[in-house]
Order: sequence, then C-alpha cells, then structure tokens
Amino acid sequence: MAAPLSPSRLAWRSFLRNRTALAGMVACILFFVVAILGLVMTKGENPILDPRQVRLADKFRPPLSIPDGDVLPAEDLPRLGMYLLGTDELGRDVFARMLEGAFVSLSVGFVAVGIAAAIGIILGGIAGYYGRVRIGIGTFRLMTVDTLIAGLIDVFLSFPTFFLILTVVAVLKPSIWNIMVVIGLTSWTGPARFVRAEILALREQDFVQAAHALGVSGRAIILRHLIPNALAPVLVSATLGIAAAILTESALSFLGFGVPPPDATWGNILADGKNFLFDAAWLTIIPGTAIFIVVLAFYVFGEGLREAFNPKLRQL
Amino acid sequence: MLSVLLRIGSKKLWTLFFISVISFGVIHLAPGEPSQIDPLNPRFTPEQLERYRKAFGLDQPLSVQYVEFYRKLFTGELRSFKDNQPVLPKIVERFWNSFPLFLVGTILIWCYAFPLGITGAIRRNSLLDKMTTVVVFALISIPGFYLAYLLIIFVVENFHVDVIGIRTFGRGGVPAVLGLMDRTWHLVLPSVLGATAGVAVLSRYVRSQMLEVINSDYVRTARAKGLDENTVLYKHALRNGLLPFVTMIGLLIPGMIGGSVIIETIFAWPGIGRLGYEAILSRDYPIVITLNFMAAVLTLVGTLLSDLLYMVVDPRIRLEKAE
Repeated sequence: MAAPLSPSRLAWRSFLRNRTALAGMVACILFFVVAILGLVMTKGENPILDPRQVRLADKFRPPLSIPDGDVLPAEDLPRLGMYLLGTDELGRDVFARMLEGAFVSLSVGFVAVGIAAAIGIILGGIAGYYGRVRIGIGTFRLMTVDTLIAGLIDVFLSFPTFFLILTVVAVLKPSIWNIMVVIGLTSWTGPARFVRAEILALREQDFVQAAHALGVSGRAIILRHLIPNALAPVLVSATLGIAAAILTESALSFLGFGVPPPDATWGNILADGKNFLFDAAWLTIIPGTAIFIVVLAFYVFGEGLREAFNPKLRQL
Repeated sequence: MLSVLLRIGSKKLWTLFFISVISFGVIHLAPGEPSQIDPLNPRFTPEQLERYRKAFGLDQPLSVQYVEFYRKLFTGELRSFKDNQPVLPKIVERFWNSFPLFLVGTILIWCYAFPLGITGAIRRNSLLDKMTTVVVFALISIPGFYLAYLLIIFVVENFHVDVIGIRTFGRGGVPAVLGLMDRTWHLVLPSVLGATAGVAVLSRYVRSQMLEVINSDYVRTARAKGLDENTVLYKHALRNGLLPFVTMIGLLIPGMIGGSVIIETIFAWPGIGRLGYEAILSRDYPIVITLNFMAAVLTLVGTLLSDLLYMVVDPRIRLEKAE
C-alpha cells in the first residue's frame, strides 16, 4: 500500500481537480509575466515602448490604427508600427501605458498585502501563543494579551475601511507608497484572525509539547513550528487581498486620490478614460476589462486554494 | 448573566475609546495642520493664520483638542469649518437621504445572498451552482464605478430615462404619486449597484458555511437515522449553518457607508458618503472625524446587538462566556 499523502499534497491534488481555480492560477501567472515584461519594456532611458511619449497629432486614435507618418518625426513613431490599443487624450500609446500599469498595479497589490500579512502574522501569532499572559501596570492587571489584540481587531473592523483609507490618503497627499501602506495598515485584520485561530488549535498539539520539553524557546516555537503550519489561510487571504487592493486603488483613482501621474496604473488609466467615454470608449473598456479579468483570476485562484486547504470543503 | 453583560459592556467601552482616538488622530497624521492648507495664498498672512488657529482651537496641544472636540460633538456645539453650520443636523439630514439606499441595499443583499448560497451548497457542482459562482465572482471583480457607468449607459440608451440624482431634475408640481414613482425609480440603480458586492461576498460565505455543516458528522447521523432529505437539510443543517450570520448584521454597516462614497458620487446622490467625500475635498475636518467616528460607533452598536443575539440563539456561547 502506498504511503498516506501529506496534508499539503492532498490539498494540492484537490486543487488540481478544480478546473476553474486552475484557470485562475494560470491567468495569475500570465499576469505576472505580463507585468515583468511590462517593467522591462517600459522602464529605463530609452524604453522599447515609451508610455510617456506624447504625440498630440495622434490623440484619440482607436485600437489598431496606423500612426500618421507625415506629421510625426520618425523617432516618435511607435515601435510596433501601429497603436495596438489606441492612444489617449495626449496621444500616448495605451498599450505601453497598460504594460507599465500592470507592474505598478501588481506591486500596489503585493506590497499592500505584504504589509497586511506581516502585521497580521505577528499580531495573530502573539495573540494565539501568548494570549493568556496578562499585561498591566505594576501589580494592577488590566487585561490579557488576547483581549488587547482582539480588541484592536474589533476597532479596525468597526471603521468603514474605504472611507478611512480615503481620509488618510487625502490627508497625507496621494503617492504610490502612501496608498500601498494605508491599504496594508487597514487590511491586516483578516490574516490576524486566521493566524490566531490556527495557532490556538496548534499549540495544544503534541509536537508543540515536544518542542517545549526539548527546551525550545517560545519565539522559536512560534516562528519555526507554529507559523509555517498556520500559513495556508494567510496565503488564501493574501491572494484575495491582492485582488481587493487592485480594486481599492482603482476606486481611489476614480475619486482623484489614486496613484498620481506620471505613474500609470490600470486604475488611473480607467479613471482618466471615463472622461472620454462617449468619444473614446476604448480608454474605458480596455483597462476596465483588464482589471476585471485579473481580479477575477485572483479571486477564483484564492477561492480554489481555500477549498483545497480546508478539509471540510475539500472534494476528493 | 449580569456579569457577562457588564464584561461585554466594558470591552465595548474600551473599543469605543480607541475608535475615538483613531478617528481623531488620523487627521493629524499629516505634517502641518489645517490652517496651512493653502500656504501659497497671499491673503493668508501670518497674523491671519494665527487668528484662524486661535478661533478653531488649533493652537492648543492635541490632547486638549481631542477632549474639546468630543465635548463639542456630544453637546452639539461642533461646527463645520466650511460653512460654520452645526455638524450633527447636517449629517442627520444627509443620513436620511442615504437611508433608502442602505435599506433597499440591505434587503437586496439578504434576499439574494442566502438563497444563492444555500442552493449552491446543497447542489454543489450542479449547473446552477457553477453559474452563480461565475456570476458572483464576476460581480465582485468589476471595479464598482466601471460597472456603474456601463449600467447607466445601458439604461439611458435603452429606456431613455433619467437615472442621476435623487429625483428628476426640475421636477415639480407633479402629483405626489408621480413624485413617489420618480423617487423610487431613481433608487433602483444605485441600490442595486450598492448591493452587488454585498450579495457576492455574503453568498460565498453562506455557501462555504453550509458546505462545512453538510459535511459534518451530525448531519450524517441525521441521514443515517432515516430522516428525509428536506428535514436533514432545512431543519438540522440550516439552523446551525446560519448561526454565524447573526454576527454579520453589525459588520455590514461599515461596508455600506464606505461603499456609498463611490455610488453617491457617481449618482450625485446627496447622501452621507458624498458628504464625506466633499468634506475630505474641502478639508472640513469636523465632518470627516465625526463621520468616521459615527460609522464606527454604529458598527459597534450593531456588533453588540449581534453578540447579545448570538447568546440568545446559541447556548454554547452563553455558557462559555459565563465561565
């Protein structure tokens, strides 16, 4: 008889059987490739595709149109010989801007989720492991660590997150870093709750007792033994979080508090494009559809992971 | 029982304190202060700046400002920076404009999310389940304002009706019935859009919660006893599966207020979200702080109610907390 499969192998097998989730994963990987390609092709002194090249003679050209060779100097012509996705109100190549924006949008999602996951893992880990320790001033015991952190989570859950983000970004002046940090600082409650719950269950298990008996320090037990075992739900919420961060950025752009120019993100291309909805519909439809597909891919992928890692939801 | 209530109460008071600090502190994160908002304006001489700072109490230490702010808020003296009107009546007026949106949105969310989620779980992998899954994910993946624009264009081009605003512009002197119909029609698009994300998220929760319960041992026992499928599903599984959603009543509030910023901006709806957005644009700090604070307090009250409700419906929680 074959040896029993490990839980992660089981999860993986169940994930592979879920066609939709698999398609989501493939789409996510494709998005990564496009974002990296976009970075390579649009950055540097003399990029292959220049997203900032203004060609006023060729503004509002629909997708697949051929540039006007008579007016433009030869070095301003797009490298591809045509505007694959059209041009915007300044005659900038939308294809190049979408490529540049792919990487910026992706990094907004990643950094925001990274910050959220880091805070969530640390606070959730402390609450789960040291939860019963009482803290206080002198001999006066105020509350347990768990009460404090659970209270903090309650506080953050009570705020209307989007309005809070909007307030902070408006006060701090929108910049790409502020947006990443603020989204991250307001969305750590999910990972914190998952890690806390997971560690509460894990700390009673025999292997943790064994580590204790061997004299392993509390910090090492948390870092080496507990957190790696509690990562699956964090991974899931991170996948969903990237999608949510991309959407939040586009909503901020719509209200005029998104990543400021000249950086292009899919959100601000969409928000700018909507002003020309009736004259140049592609400026709205292209970024809107791109955001839709990428966010959908992350959601489907994350949901598939969640079902695969939760034994109660898994289909065998 | 009384001690449990006291403990829950004191916990909520702590939460309230932190909420008040964060609502107030967020505004003061920025370097500089509200009086320096327009440093290039030649009409703002240093003497005048000093006068404004004194008039609005901005020259005092933050702790004093904090206490003053909440004292004024609770005594109703707090006034907007922009037009010097009292803040509370202003917010209350806008709240009643938003209220129909919240109400219809919430009703839509609950009426669609539960049936969708429950049937999805019971008939897992059926055509219906797959289709709702696709639709639900599609709905949460579209940026809200993009979807709104697509819908507005679709409706306006096909039905030739006015959808922007709380009522048709320039409407007046029509019979009350027609006025009511006009208001109702204007309510449709924004509340449907406001509810889409909620329906999508909640129905996924309901579905996975139901799936967990359906796969649990006691449901298998109920089947093994020979109970018919309807009794097993709707009497045994559903009751337990829906328990956690009692707690979600309170948590829906912040999403509605946050989401209303976008929806109300698009539809020029003079509600609470738009008030917040306008206040942020004009740096009207008393309104911004009060809105953040009030939304959080509303949520806190909502979660308090659902905690109590949870204790009523689930004896396990009651016993655990009483220990």
